[in-house]
Amino acid sequence: MMNDDEIPILAQNVRRAYDGPLVLRDFSLSVKKGSIYGFLGRNGSGKTTALRMLAGLIKPGSGEVRVLGFNPFTAGAAERQWLGYMSEKATIPPNTRLRSVLNLGRALYPTWDAALVDSLLAKYGLSPRRRFAALSQGQQRLVGFVAAIAPRPKVLLLDEPAANLDVVARREILDDVLALIRDCECTVLFSTHILSDVERVADHIGILSNGSLRVSESLDSLKDSIRQVHCFGFKNGIPREDLPGSFRTVRTREDLTVTLRTDATLTPESLAQHWSCQCESRALGLEDIFVELSLNQGILP
Amino acid sequence: MFLLNPTSGVPLYLQLQQQLQQRILSGQLPDGAPLPSVRELSAQLHINPLTVVKVYQNLEKTGFVETRRGIGSFVSHQSPALRMDARRRQIGPAIEQLVVEALHLGLGQEEIQSLLAEKFLQYQSQSGTKPNDE
Repeated sequence: MMNDDEIPILAQNVRRAYDGPLVLRDFSLSVKKGSIYGFLGRNGSGKTTALRMLAGLIKPGSGEVRVLGFNPFTAGAAERQWLGYMSEKATIPPNTRLRSVLNLGRALYPTWDAALVDSLLAKYGLSPRRRFAALSQGQQRLVGFVAAIAPRPKVLLLDEPAANLDVVARREILDDVLALIRDCECTVLFSTHILSDVERVADHIGILSNGSLRVSESLDSLKDSIRQVHCFGFKNGIPREDLPGSFRTVRTREDLTVTLRTDATLTPESLAQHWSCQCESRALGLEDIFVELSLNQGILP
Repeated sequence: MFLLNPTSGVPLYLQLQQQLQQRILSGQLPDGAPLPSVRELSAQLHINPLTVVKVYQNLEKTGFVETRRGIGSFVSHQSPALRMDARRRQIGPAIEQLVVEALHLGLGQEEIQSLLAEKFLQYQSQSGTKPNDE
């Protein structure tokens, strides 16, 4: 078991319900220091609940949650200042001016970086005099993002940071997250449905299904190992049986296409030999990988 | 500048690694040339610094790059024979693809060789510019 220093975000066998069925069941997650972890899952799979729990806003029903080695639910201000969190929905009173929100942040967080805030607001074209309600939904998301990274946290939890943002703003916040990583050894966990954002910055992904983490793997190893193999020219006819452990097989009269995870022994070449056929293989982007994993592992909402 | 496509099935680290290798093998980055720092390159390409670290480590393992602690990473000095081997390996996948495609189309070795010779002539006559292997 690695220590808290190397695993700043940790959940073990967590269960949590809201007056009814379990939203999280045996949820375990560990994120390594310096990682940018893309937290994926279909709608309603429990991502927001998991993030709220890691942020210390709700308590696990059972199991353990540790962020930077502390329990986020019971931690005091001195510990919590290292935890940045951007919620799915804004919780700022509509009439508040941006300046008051930011002044509050400055008062609460000793490490609040006012210069960073000014430069980000200028970049996003947000005047501190604006009232929160007068901002577009996308601009409100940006305010939430600025407030989450202004204290230069060591752990940053982002719940759908890209929702309602245009593509330029999305790129900008990804760059800001990367800058934070470069400057202050931050560890980031972010949920999103926009897989191209994940591919751009994340080194690790996890897929939540029905309240538990089904897949947790480095993006490189997924892309390096998962292949779609097109097989044709069978000398002994097209095999009827699926390859054990393969994801999905599609057969036509003359060929067969199978998605599988290659390893030291299973390669397109070994498959060509095994089935006495010719094989071509192609690598898949994250979107295709996500769909294949979802179908294969029965990833549920 | 490097051209990366994050949504491709080829992992980002591999795309960057191949492009850097290509530049070293073609002499565009000569022996001893300094490489950008992890910070610089990740900022410039808008990618995770860990990706750049991985690429530099891999290139170090394969002898293309050496990292001097506290100073930075440099293209390492390699014997011409080793460089030649590496060039052959670099072009391997393209040759593989060519041969597979040729077999599918029912084109034999002689036909491919004459087509290749023709292409070489064409490029050499164009002021000696080298084709990209993309």
